[in-house]
Amino acid sequence: MSAAVTSKSLTKQQATGHINWGRIGSYLILLFFALIYLGPLLMLLSTSLKTMPDFMKNATSLPTTLNFQNYLEAWEKANFPRYLTNTILYTFSATVIYVVTGVFVAFPIARGYVKGAGFLLTLYVIALFLPVALIPQFQLMLSLGLYNNPIGYVMLFLVNPIGIVILVNYFKSLPVELDEAAAMDGCGYLRFVTTVIIPLSSPAIATVAVLHAIGIWNELILPTIYLTNKDYYPITRGMIVFQGVYGSDWPTLAAAVLIMTLPMLIIFLVLQRFIVSGLTAGAVKG
Amino acid sequence: MANYHFGRGRARWAPYILLLPGFFFYLLIMFGPSLATSVFSFTDATGIRGAPVNWVGLDNYKEFLFLGQASRDNYGALFRTLIFCVGVTTIQFTLGLIVALVVNQKLRGVNFFRTLYFMPVILGAVIQGLIWSLFLYPLGGPMAQLLGMVGLRSEFLGGPPAEAFAWVMAVQIWANMGITMMIFIAGLQTIPGELYEAARIDGAGSWRTFQNVTWPLLTPAVNTNLVLNIIGSLQAWQLFLVLIGYRNGTQVLGYLIFAQAFGQTSGSVTSAFRQGYGAAASIVLFFLVLVIGMSVQFFLQRREGRVLG
Repeated sequence: MSAAVTSKSLTKQQATGHINWGRIGSYLILLFFALIYLGPLLMLLSTSLKTMPDFMKNATSLPTTLNFQNYLEAWEKANFPRYLTNTILYTFSATVIYVVTGVFVAFPIARGYVKGAGFLLTLYVIALFLPVALIPQFQLMLSLGLYNNPIGYVMLFLVNPIGIVILVNYFKSLPVELDEAAAMDGCGYLRFVTTVIIPLSSPAIATVAVLHAIGIWNELILPTIYLTNKDYYPITRGMIVFQGVYGSDWPTLAAAVLIMTLPMLIIFLVLQRFIVSGLTAGAVKG
Repeated sequence: MANYHFGRGRARWAPYILLLPGFFFYLLIMFGPSLATSVFSFTDATGIRGAPVNWVGLDNYKEFLFLGQASRDNYGALFRTLIFCVGVTTIQFTLGLIVALVVNQKLRGVNFFRTLYFMPVILGAVIQGLIWSLFLYPLGGPMAQLLGMVGLRSEFLGGPPAEAFAWVMAVQIWANMGITMMIFIAGLQTIPGELYEAARIDGAGSWRTFQNVTWPLLTPAVNTNLVLNIIGSLQAWQLFLVLIGYRNGTQVLGYLIFAQAFGQTSGSVTSAFRQGYGAAASIVLFFLVLVIGMSVQFFLQRREGRVLG
């Protein structure tokens, strides 16, 4: 990489007769941060391929032989199949219910089809600043008998105010003439939203769904509070427990972390566009 | 009230009925519990099912703020929360801006770098924390070796509280700088190219151009980033849980609330659940966020009026 940088700046220098320091500086900054961001990942990869004695001898050396044993061990000992299944079930069911109910909250608010639409929107906007809901939420779930219960756990994820705000903003950009034309053709409200609005809004809906799903997938606090039965653990909680037991066996632990990281990285690379647009939505409007 | 097109009479109920499930969940799971936190803060609620809950007035607040060593520890946590907020916000904001300016140029491979810097954002606290626990491995891990090269030593996360705290701060910044960068990039892309062209024709250097074109026009992105970073870092504590656990001299307010309300160790029920007390601490944190958030908003809005007219 650095060779490419030098040769590029050299040709630039030959062409213009002076060194473009701004460009060199830019590449140096890029490389510096690339090291900080890639370094920890490479360390993880390298450690996951080493044996424990190798790691003890020299933690940073590159693995001399590729020891894939760690992955098998991690997969079995960390109870990954179970925890992964749980995480997928929680994430999928909660996201689907959230998005469907969320569309029916956001659309009438955006259109003013319900009384007090502005007030409703405010309720969602201020959610960011409200006190932490953890404690009363826990008391509520306890009294409903939904503590340590997968259904109760999924219920906790049926809400996400930021997603509603993103959807409202998007729906406002769709022309009202659509509604008029559809109604004129005798289309009912439910059918209109499901067959016209939802397909038209797929970019925004995808963004909201992806953001929400990532949040559930990565959630650590709520499973720690609500799920005590090991059979219900999502992968995050399982990973922390695994760390507690195998904390010093870094090669196995690193393999486990990599197994857990890989699906996220793939999802990220495929869906990056939606993730970024969701996180920067409305951020730069004047 | 906009015109409703989809019929009258009973058909007019459709949007209300369909809105109900989502809104009901919001009230039940988030809005209601959020408000109820203030009620719980005046009680001695525990996390035990069926245990009596008594009204104790301001006792939790008195204990939290004024009672002996525990309250001094609480002030420590409060202070660290502020340090964490100021440190994370200033560094993450500055680095995010610099990196955004760099990757917004036409350089080779900028898309790759952008993706790379943003990636940790989606990994979540567990993976972020574990990756860094390994990178900060004290016995000859990469960071130990790097520091060794310049003659420094650190015990990292197992070191003195202040040192461990600083490393958590570093990981927090590493994990979230990508969001700040992306918001700045979105802001940079709204600035019309003609302005840069005009500045160049007027003979302005790159620093002058930044000062007079980029920085003022970046105001919306600056405001968003500051507000998000400040509020986010005041409430962030998950990396503490993964990286060092509950350890005296390192906790921030968010972690203290969790530890008091749900037992100190992560998950396994050990100490008593002091949920009333935890709720009082939540309200203290809420006021901290409110006061700081409002003053920052006020300041930023005045500045925006001045800069953008």
